[in-house]
Amino acid sequence: MSASTQEEEELPANHTGPKGVINDWRRFKLDSVDQTVPQNKRELLRQMSSPREDDRERLNRKMSAQEYELIQEEDERCLKRYRKQCMQEMHERLSFGPTFESVYELESGEAFLEVIEKEHRMTLVVVHIYQHGVKGCEQLNSCLDCLALEYTNVKFCRIDAVATGAAERFSAEVLPALLVYKAGELLGNFLSVTKHLNEDFFATDVEAFLNEYGLLPEKEFTACADDEEEGGDVE
Amino acid sequence: MGEMEQLRKEADSLKDQITAARKAVQDSTLQEAAASITVVGRVQLKTRKTLRGHLAKIYAMHWSTDSKLCVSASQDGKLIVWDSITTNKVNAIPLKSSWVMTCAYAPSGNLVACGGLDNMCSIYNLKGKDGNVKVMRELAAHTGYLSCCRFLSDSEIITSSGDCTCVLWDIETGTQKTVFAGHQGDCMSLAVSPDFKFFISGACDFTAKLWDIREASCRQTFGGHESDINAIGFFPNGNAVITGSDDATCKLYDLRADQELITYQDSGIMCGVTSLAPSVSGRLLLAGYDDFNVNIWDALKAERVGVLAGHDNRVSCIGVSSDGMACCTGSWDSFLKIWN
Repeated sequence: MSASTQEEEELPANHTGPKGVINDWRRFKLDSVDQTVPQNKRELLRQMSSPREDDRERLNRKMSAQEYELIQEEDERCLKRYRKQCMQEMHERLSFGPTFESVYELESGEAFLEVIEKEHRMTLVVVHIYQHGVKGCEQLNSCLDCLALEYTNVKFCRIDAVATGAAERFSAEVLPALLVYKAGELLGNFLSVTKHLNEDFFATDVEAFLNEYGLLPEKEFTACADDEEEGGDVE
Repeated sequence: MGEMEQLRKEADSLKDQITAARKAVQDSTLQEAAASITVVGRVQLKTRKTLRGHLAKIYAMHWSTDSKLCVSASQDGKLIVWDSITTNKVNAIPLKSSWVMTCAYAPSGNLVACGGLDNMCSIYNLKGKDGNVKVMRELAAHTGYLSCCRFLSDSEIITSSGDCTCVLWDIETGTQKTVFAGHQGDCMSLAVSPDFKFFISGACDFTAKLWDIREASCRQTFGGHESDINAIGFFPNGNAVITGSDDATCKLYDLRADQELITYQDSGIMCGVTSLAPSVSGRLLLAGYDDFNVNIWDALKAERVGVLAGHDNRVSCIGVSSDGMACCTGSWDSFLKIWN
């Protein structure tokens, strides 16, 4: 299964839109081709998927005539297996990356910049800017300690506003602040994040808040794994 | 040989004339015109609802004009009509083919349509007498995959296909009323103008074409993209067109100026655009990329002002409701989410 993923990586491919459907169909055909069918049939399917460099005309057409002929009634079992496989692969591709165990204390502005820029491009970085004495900071810190244990591929960090070297920008009115980065890009910027939360908030509240913005990764593979068929109308 | 050379020279000369004419009316740039407008600021959308029920990647979705119901098409071979407020499934329609590329909701709310690798556009009646949803028509004539379809009314629908044509169908009789030919590559997407008089198509010949529906003619052709155009949409006032391409950019073309006004690009973005939806005001443009991310662009200043879904690499399709109150995203993990 991993071998076919590698091969797929090499073929030029789109994953979304109509071309995504064509690509998924091609992969399905390649995967479900009977093992007893000779090697040359697979080769043919593979060749049809990659346009030849010299054929400019061919590049404008996404499906070949032979491919159209191959579309036919497909085995439902094969399809179900293929769908699960697709989602499994996507989940694996996204959970690959370094893991962390606790909240990191950043000591300086440089450390802050470094964590934003140098982390793995798939790693979500959540930075809590706090200050001693400012309401909500201590509470948020303990919430993040909890979340750091649950979301091991998210890098939670905290930094004292004074240590950032930009204390004027992070004055007490805007603290605690939560900044979310990925691949060097700011995805979420929540100043005075406690105003979005209740007076007494817990790790689950912070988790729910970040989830509303789609900022936390899925905790587990939760897509419907069982194949209950939903026939007819459901109200 | 001499005649070919002459015709080629003539064609080139005409192209030069068109370029010159366009340049002549270009008295300003969008950047200059929008310079004094205040920035939009960071846009952070929140998930309001999650629609669960599909079993595989969502390939397409379309809102109903009531901004409450929407239809989604998935690799699991189903069309599901959702009530986005209650998250209930109103209808679950099994399809003959799992390879569905597009779905559409009729403005009346009575019909939905879908199509894909089966080369057909299947129309379903949601308001059948006995309450069951059945296939009402199967519009078959395209010799290529059905990349997109949009209803004009309960009796007319326009489809775009991998056979390089777009077709206007009479749903009642199941026949082709008009064939819009001219593209030199697979047609990937289409959008109907707000007044229903025109539609635009984007294709793998790197161009977008504006078609007059009743005159059955191509009015304008827009070039400039360096690769296939995968997604296309009308700017809300109907005077401009936005395209999304495999060259990783989106472009805004003005219909009256007959030229490109601005390109939405960023050196950090290297994968193709596969879906797009402008906000109802036109100020924001949501663009879905092939890496499953969605960037939110300030349409006037051509700057990115946010990302959707935390850049979690999940989004396979997007759509903005007609009242502009929410946008819906479909994911490869089978869920749809409503955001605003």
